[in-house]
Amino acid sequence: MNEVSFHTFRADAALAIANPHLQSAVDGATLKFRRDRLRALADLPDVEAMRDHFKAMRAATLANLSEHLEQFERQALAAGAHVHWARDAAEATQIVIGIARQHGARLAVKAKSMTSEEIHLNAALDEAGITPVETDLGEWIVQLAAESPAHIVVPALHKTRQQVAELFTREVGRPLSADDIPALTNEARRALRKKFLAAEIGISGANIGVAETGSIVLVTNEGNGRMVSSVPPVHVAVMGVEKVCPTWDDAAVWLELLARSSTGQPLSVYTTAITGPARDGDADGPRELHIVLYDGGRSGMLGTGYEEVLQCIRCGACLNHCPVYQEIAGQTYGHAYSGPIGAVLVPLLHGLEQYEALPHASSLCGACLEVCPARIDLPRMLLDLRAEEVARGVIAPPEQALEKSAAWLLGHRRLFGLLTDVGRVFQRPLLSKDGLRVPRRLNPAGKRRLPSLAPRSFHALWDELAAEEEAVAGAAPVKRAVRAPSRGRIAAVIGASVVPLVVLWHLLRRRGGKR
Amino acid sequence: MTDPKRVAIMVTCMVDQIMPEVGVAAVRLLRRAGYTVEFPVEQTCCGQPFFNSGFRAQAADLAKRSLDIFEPYDAVVLPGGSCAAMIRKEYPHLLERWPGGTARAEALAARTYELSEFLVHVAGWEPAPAARAPRVTYHDSCHMNRLLGLGAESRALLRAAGCEIVEMHESDRCCGFGGLFSFRIPEVSNAMTQEKVRRANTTGAEVLVSADPGCLMQMRGFAHQTGMRLAHLAVLLEELTR
Amino acid sequence: MSTAREEILTALRRGERGGNSAPAPWRSRQQFDDLAARFTATLTGLHGEMIRAASADEALDRLGDVLRDLGAARVVVNDEPPLAGVDLAARWPGIAWHVVGRTEGDLRAFCAGADAGVTGADAALAETGSVTVSSGPGRSRMASLLPPVHIALVAAERLTSDILTWAAARSGDLPANVTAISGPSKTADIEQTLAIGMHGPKRVIVILYGE
Ligand code: SF4
Repeated sequence: MNEVSFHTFRADAALAIANPHLQSAVDGATLKFRRDRLRALADLPDVEAMRDHFKAMRAATLANLSEHLEQFERQALAAGAHVHWARDAAEATQIVIGIARQHGARLAVKAKSMTSEEIHLNAALDEAGITPVETDLGEWIVQLAAESPAHIVVPALHKTRQQVAELFTREVGRPLSADDIPALTNEARRALRKKFLAAEIGISGANIGVAETGSIVLVTNEGNGRMVSSVPPVHVAVMGVEKVCPTWDDAAVWLELLARSSTGQPLSVYTTAITGPARDGDADGPRELHIVLYDGGRSGMLGTGYEEVLQCIRCGACLNHCPVYQEIAGQTYGHAYSGPIGAVLVPLLHGLEQYEALPHASSLCGACLEVCPARIDLPRMLLDLRAEEVARGVIAPPEQALEKSAAWLLGHRRLFGLLTDVGRVFQRPLLSKDGLRVPRRLNPAGKRRLPSLAPRSFHALWDELAAEEEAVAGAAPVKRAVRAPSRGRIAAVIGASVVPLVVLWHLLRRRGGKR
Repeated sequence: MTDPKRVAIMVTCMVDQIMPEVGVAAVRLLRRAGYTVEFPVEQTCCGQPFFNSGFRAQAADLAKRSLDIFEPYDAVVLPGGSCAAMIRKEYPHLLERWPGGTARAEALAARTYELSEFLVHVAGWEPAPAARAPRVTYHDSCHMNRLLGLGAESRALLRAAGCEIVEMHESDRCCGFGGLFSFRIPEVSNAMTQEKVRRANTTGAEVLVSADPGCLMQMRGFAHQTGMRLAHLAVLLEELTR
Repeated sequence: MSTAREEILTALRRGERGGNSAPAPWRSRQQFDDLAARFTATLTGLHGEMIRAASADEALDRLGDVLRDLGAARVVVNDEPPLAGVDLAARWPGIAWHVVGRTEGDLRAFCAGADAGVTGADAALAETGSVTVSSGPGRSRMASLLPPVHIALVAAERLTSDILTWAAARSGDLPANVTAISGPSKTADIEQTLAIGMHGPKRVIVILYGE
């Protein structure tokens, strides 16, 4: 049941870190996104106030989400759309399959959709005998490679041109060169164009639902969103219930921030508002539009300390700025949602027990909060999830014992002083110029050199430091500190302390290695 | 801000045990700025490691302990932004569980300062330029920068002391420490640290300065991979103003 | 199905905080001195192409130039201003035209094989270099999507500051499909290398006419 344990996470992370191509791809892409985001946001007057407004709008919408959804539904129905509600992934996939079957669909073209990844729609369609074809170039590459996305915005971030050329060669049945990326892109254009024209059904997600008019908004650069919603006779959009906003004024602010935060573009190339299927007299467009409103655990987050996570617009800024993500890329997270948002969202959607390592996949540096267009306090939620892990016993008993005894010890200053003095004796054989030399296999810090305890603690130095002031300034004497413990007292505690220390050390090691 | 004269130093557990020279330097700097510094000997740890790893009850107990110890002073100064942020941002809600705890914690938070912040904004102290000062690059520690909004203060002090500051690429990028993160997932933590040290190294500065003992300890784990000296802000400033 | 609906709504109502905390709408704070200049700068920065014409008539002349330079043989055109009513076949006899809603035959097949698609535009957003196209009678979604070149004829009076001013000016029902197009289709999904023309047009040429 353990999908992402500390052990698997660490092992996958080590592989990612050791992969030089992946490292340069992630570094290059995320750096470009960071720079472009700054430039794009600088173009907006009062952008910080606009972000505050956006957050307030998202929060206010969630405060009455059911009303906004009902209005959305009413308006979408009035525009001629079919609206479906799905409690979980099984229900959502069954609805989509049912619509496809009703139209005898064998081939489904799909626009890039994280919700579709979340509900594993491709696997369900495949099983039902309907062939799904991803048409976002990156998603298609990932689909051909039978992998999961490495980034929520640029899924094939990790693939080299050589790997892409190989995958395409297999797909088109002709040898393709890796040298010319525009030519490879053109091959994909040609191959996917055929699919668009042949598919009986188009499937997408929805970036925004606008309650005022019952519209869904699709945003893409390549045009896959336009294609799947314009060319096939039936369009199905699966939208998370949290993606709704009340008015077009709200949607406009959302759009002003989305592409800028995401790829650093002022607006994506195509922003499409879809309000119902093709109308009578329309020149073209789908005869049917189905909107699947998907809950999948979101309603359970409303009103809890994690509600804020529902304000997420999946822009990926938190990934691009996360120093942890930059080292390990998306697949290490074991889920289509990666980076800081994934570290919070995935355990909430699928359980802390299954994804115990994710809340710890962060140094709590706060970069994600700083850049999130909705100012979602992901670090705060990571802390809350960690506290839940402790409370629910997800954190293993040995570590619980270790941390609790360490805290207890720090509550007893004299004992703590004694134990550290014992440590000073024991570390002697390991001392080197910059830290302790511990054999790699035994070093819980891995490649990093462990710090050594100073020859004397600050507590031990204080008397001299206090005297310094008396000598220099003739100032009033300061409180006297406790004296460093004598050798005899040190010897007395050695026996009592070494044994539990060694035991705890071993338990900690096993924890990293075994799970 | 009123000018408190009775200042307590909270050296933090890391400085106490691993780099006491930072505490010594901080005390000397505060004295040079005209303050009498007291060291409440009962102090150990602010509780942050436990708070960050989800052990809230343990963190709260240590927070309560620190509150009791430091409450009597006019000001509390820490040579570390992260622990200062812990007291300022987390104590008020952690201490909720004691009657009046939040109010007391807020009062303490209002008197708690990171060292560079205290020197610049409360003491109004400015070091005299040293005859020979090194070229330095400054690492913006995450909590100090993002939770306390500090960084300009350290740079101002370094410049006043005569240092030339060569900024590294993304000085606000995390050093990889993250408390227990550095032991729970050391592979990632270490990769982050190596990246940080590499970026600092390419500035050609002689000293990589940090105002946070945690970052410093972490980066020193890879000090052998760089020719740079890694120094705490307090230590370098103290040397330059002797 | 209706149980799912009720269950989800009930669960949402249980968690909602309620109250009315919705902030007043955010209004655009952009102040462009010259909307056309900003539009042009942004569009060309996005690899779009820009042609200025003094009048609708001149815009048609410029359109003719573009089609000639393209060597276009098959062109699909939306039946909307400023093209509606123009006798295209008489003016450009060398081109096979498909006028949406008027010409018989398979629109989709024609679009898929066309050399260019010509449309009007409801609005042009200066900030983002976007033109908006809508569905409707005589207005094909595919005309601006399937051909390799999209030519949009835009009246300068349709220029607005940005998507915020567009939304603020909007009222009533929307057409089934409204798309803001900001330059040619593009991707950077292979090694972050920009490639123009993924699924949509490889060239977007805007002919902005009038004052
Ligand atoms: S959490 Fe914020 S930054 Fe991250 S994807 Fe969501 S909206 Fe973007």
